[in-house]
Amino acid sequence: MGSPANHDNVASLATDFYSLLESFKETPFYHLLFEIFLVLTVLWLILFRKPRRIEKKLTEKEKQELIDEWQPEPLVPPVDANHPALNVRVLDGIVGKTIEIDGKKSLNFATFNFLNFVGNPRITDKAIQAVQKYGVGSCGPRGFYGTIDIHLELEERLAHFFNCEEGIIYSYGFSTVASIIPAYSKRNDILFVDEGVHYAIQKGVEASRSTVKWFRHNDISDLERLLVEQDIHDKKNPKKARTLRRFLIIEGLYMNYGDLCPLPRMVELKYQYKYRIFMDESVSFGTIGQTGRGVTEYYNIDRRKIDLISSSLEYSVGSIGGFAVGSSFVVDHQRLSAQGYCFSASLPPLLAAAAIEALNIMEEEDTTLCDTLMEKSKRLHQKLLDIKGYLIVGEDISPLKHLRLTNSQNTVARLEEIVEFAQTRGITITVARYLNDEHRLPEPSIRLILNVEMTDEELEFLCTVLQEARVKVTV
Amino acid sequence: MNVGIAQGERNPNSSWLNSRGVWLTYIILVFVLHFILLSIPYITTSVAWTLTTTIHNLCNYYLFHVVKGAPWETSDQGRARRFTFWEQIDDGIQWTGTRKFLQIVPVVLFFIASFYTKYDKTHFLINLATMLLAVVPKFPIFFGVRLLDINRY
Repeated sequence: MGSPANHDNVASLATDFYSLLESFKETPFYHLLFEIFLVLTVLWLILFRKPRRIEKKLTEKEKQELIDEWQPEPLVPPVDANHPALNVRVLDGIVGKTIEIDGKKSLNFATFNFLNFVGNPRITDKAIQAVQKYGVGSCGPRGFYGTIDIHLELEERLAHFFNCEEGIIYSYGFSTVASIIPAYSKRNDILFVDEGVHYAIQKGVEASRSTVKWFRHNDISDLERLLVEQDIHDKKNPKKARTLRRFLIIEGLYMNYGDLCPLPRMVELKYQYKYRIFMDESVSFGTIGQTGRGVTEYYNIDRRKIDLISSSLEYSVGSIGGFAVGSSFVVDHQRLSAQGYCFSASLPPLLAAAAIEALNIMEEEDTTLCDTLMEKSKRLHQKLLDIKGYLIVGEDISPLKHLRLTNSQNTVARLEEIVEFAQTRGITITVARYLNDEHRLPEPSIRLILNVEMTDEELEFLCTVLQEARVKVTV
Repeated sequence: MNVGIAQGERNPNSSWLNSRGVWLTYIILVFVLHFILLSIPYITTSVAWTLTTTIHNLCNYYLFHVVKGAPWETSDQGRARRFTFWEQIDDGIQWTGTRKFLQIVPVVLFFIASFYTKYDKTHFLINLATMLLAVVPKFPIFFGVRLLDINRY
């Protein structure tokens, strides 16, 4: 048996329990009643409540009512007959120097066909041969069975054309520069970007998540102000500044404005403030410079001073895709870091072959393509200046010009009227369209593109039509 | 959450209380709580029982009727996001075994507590209040009801 203490404990427990039982006999009446009620409820719950779902059942009558009430909505809602989707203009055939719209031929001043390589028989032949040799697609990204010898050849040719160490090609012009910028500039780096850059560059800048400092279009003093501010900021925190990368993103010839960037001064500032220059030469490749090598050739600047030149193959070259050239050290980084290179299928071989042939034509010994283009641009510029009522925006040597109406008459509606009138006379021009989330929406304008094979008479005709349109619109 | 299991339960919250041994564990946990309270020297048995029921009912109310959604990513496309745990049990079917069990436990605890507190009035009131707090929201009339828009979202 346990010790006396234990025995006592057990005994005391027993008395406690006994006292509890005693108190049960003295329960207050309401409490007892309540407890009995609870016991009955519990028993009822356990024994009689069956599981059921919470669902509203509709009676037959209600179902019929709902069926009778239902009215089908029309498949096609009523729509204005002038909706653009109902009045589609149909293009037929090659969009070269002339376009056939809705059966009528007209001169094409709207597409970016600077050197008229679209529809060029040499290029077309080479492309057809490439289809017969390689098939149609390349079936893979560059890193996974998508690299074909023709890609490597094109890259080498581009690097050789620009006299740079290495080139890299992309399969889509828009994503070229939009992949390149985030490949180098990361979250805490600083980008000095011109406000007039085109949409692809804006998207690349946005994707990079870097700190962006926009400076006014082609305004070197504004850029200097930003650089000085950044310099002061850096001096306060030199350790952090050493880990920051700085880039200047500019275009050679601006698509939205038609003017050249002041490159020599920017290169000077580069060595003073230590940033790298990424230049997008989509429009100036093949059009500016003696042999079409772009703004660096025009200003006679050593291409090694520009860290990366990127461009699109979709404008002068007449193929599809884009490329970048620069030193091996810089360009090679993109082979693993550029999203558009690693994760998109590579350029179809027929387009690469077309691009190579276009380069062949551009590099021919006795070619005067670019010279002629610059001359014609200058002449067209003069002719356009002679027309009253238009504001010409752009360099005189630029084959891409923006036309605006003077003073407050410059609206998209009026410009569209001019475009429609020109179409009836056999000239196709277009109003430059922008997306709503552009960083700085340029003013409405007609974007004129000069084709190198336009004759003088055709340019005269263009000016005549523009003059008539102006008169018609303001009346 | 549903990684590595074969049946692909859309929201495990609906069925885990039906699992083997959960009811027994529940009861054992209540008693463990009670023994912990009993081992504190200055608490008498009656106070300990009242405390046990109070704590149990308050936790019951909070966990079943205040907390909404599930602590993991469910594959029911967010259907359970606005439902409290009580409403998620058995996917909303009322009067299942688990629900009846969970409704009866506070009542039984009330009986035991009343017995051990010798039917004292104050204890009765406290126990009654918390028991109602734990039992009343479990009735099907209150399914999906958010009084005064408290805890609606």
